[in-house]
Amino acid sequence: MDEVFVCRCEEVTQEELQKAIADGAVTMNELKRWTRAGMGLCQGKGCSRLVMNILAKSTGQSPADVKPAHYRNPVRPMPINSMIKEEE
Amino acid sequence: MKRKVQSVVIGAGPAGLAAAIEIAKAGGQVVLIDENSKPGGQLFKQIHKFFGSREHRAGVRGYNIGIQLLEETKELGVEVLLDSPVYGIYKEEDGLLVSYVREGKEEAIIAEKVILAAGGMENAIAFPGSTLPGVMGAGCAQTMINVHRVLPGEKVVMVGSGNVGLIVSYQLLQAGAQVLALVEAAPSIGGYGVHAAKIRRAGVPIKVSHTIKRVIGTTEVEAVEIVQLDEKFNPIPGTEEILEADTVCLAVGLSPMTELAWLAGCNFTYEPALGGHIPVHDENMETSVPGVYVAGDIAGVEEASTAMEEGRLAGIAAAEALGCYTEDEAKALKQQVWARLDALRTGPFGQARFDAKKHILDVAKGGK
Amino acid sequence: MRVVNHPFLPAIDEPDITIYVDGKPIPAKSGEPIAAALLAAGIRVCRKTAKKGRPRGIFCGIGRCTDCVMTVDGVPNVRTCVTPVKPNMMVETQNGLGSWVDAK
Repeated sequence: MDEVFVCRCEEVTQEELQKAIADGAVTMNELKRWTRAGMGLCQGKGCSRLVMNILAKSTGQSPADVKPAHYRNPVRPMPINSMIKEEE
Repeated sequence: MKRKVQSVVIGAGPAGLAAAIEIAKAGGQVVLIDENSKPGGQLFKQIHKFFGSREHRAGVRGYNIGIQLLEETKELGVEVLLDSPVYGIYKEEDGLLVSYVREGKEEAIIAEKVILAAGGMENAIAFPGSTLPGVMGAGCAQTMINVHRVLPGEKVVMVGSGNVGLIVSYQLLQAGAQVLALVEAAPSIGGYGVHAAKIRRAGVPIKVSHTIKRVIGTTEVEAVEIVQLDEKFNPIPGTEEILEADTVCLAVGLSPMTELAWLAGCNFTYEPALGGHIPVHDENMETSVPGVYVAGDIAGVEEASTAMEEGRLAGIAAAEALGCYTEDEAKALKQQVWARLDALRTGPFGQARFDAKKHILDVAKGGK
Repeated sequence: MRVVNHPFLPAIDEPDITIYVDGKPIPAKSGEPIAAALLAAGIRVCRKTAKKGRPRGIFCGIGRCTDCVMTVDGVPNVRTCVTPVKPNMMVETQNGLGSWVDAK
């Protein structure tokens, strides 16, 4: 098993990322939606840097120009029932 | 009805604790929030004595600094909310809305000033077998041996010769583990010579220009294959070596945890010497979003001492902005902190960080 | 293995409670995270991944990476490196994202 997992949470391999980029996912937001890299439980904390470097290298961009995928609220897991207001 | 406070500090590690202490000392109201169940951030696993001047508490073990800071927050009556992950931050009409989960319910505070001191997280590298149980961050091993007093494995290969890799290798030996080798991809050691010498004397081979080719095992690490690299960092065929390790520790740097800064709409600049994309900030540690400050590893990965100083700086600046200090009082205090920060960012290790921070300040003034 | 001997850190307390991992009792110290008790017992596999069923264990140790999650007292995705043990806690090796069936 010589697979190299880049996104540990969603089990996305380096090969899968490279293929997605070759197929046209050339921004972090597209790559995230295409492969689910960054959409797992850690929300990209573990893989974001690695994926950005792969993307920069594959597209000939400077790492300075590759920003992470868009962050949205909530940036920490919230139990659904934390949002339920008690009836008075 | 949302609760309104003068200031919120997010993250109770060295930067956050220092910031909250400064605001409270100045007479400002501050709420310190942390997602973990204990404050102190990564201070409590630092069992080694810190370097630096007496002002920087040199010769004091990290966990004792943590204890001192916590005592100060107690004496000053700082309100501390633990187990409260902050999940959102919004600019509203009447201030900055900080949302968090507490005891299973979502809550929010409106603050005039917010200091983001969320810290950093260990980097991972990917190679065949890198997700097997037994491969972990060096900081993880450090937490396990120094805080929880358990060995995460018995025969370790350490990856990375920066200070974390060198220090944790030594601490693993102190805890009774074997360190079979330390591998470093670059041709020279990244950390202080004194740390490298200590582990070499203890029998740990430091193999520069080496990296991990793959980790072998079915359910956990059973062996590690390392390989030598040429000047272009390409593996040299035939130089493979198998080490009978059960654990791999990755000491390959940290990255700032900047989610909240991105969410708040802060501008960023790319600084490889500080760990990647960093929120732009001025000499007051204030970001491009008025009222939002950053301090510590979130503002660039450095060390605990710089984290504390940046926390102090942000705290003093926030207190000044809240009217707790006059311009002159604040100026004097800030100058002292800047002098200490500059002193910490010297020498072969500090210079790159000094230059990067200088660049950030330039960008804040409108530079590129 | 527990670090009993250390050049300068203080002596550690003896384990004082029992938790169950996949039905098997293991000793634990009140207040320590589940992951510490697991490591002391030599248990390093926390779960099997959802897509490919691969084993995972502790990686960051500070509650950020979520590799160490297990099903605890019926609740899935509990970070064992930051969750303290309780007497008679039921910890199970988790498959994928776990299940909320029978959760309390």
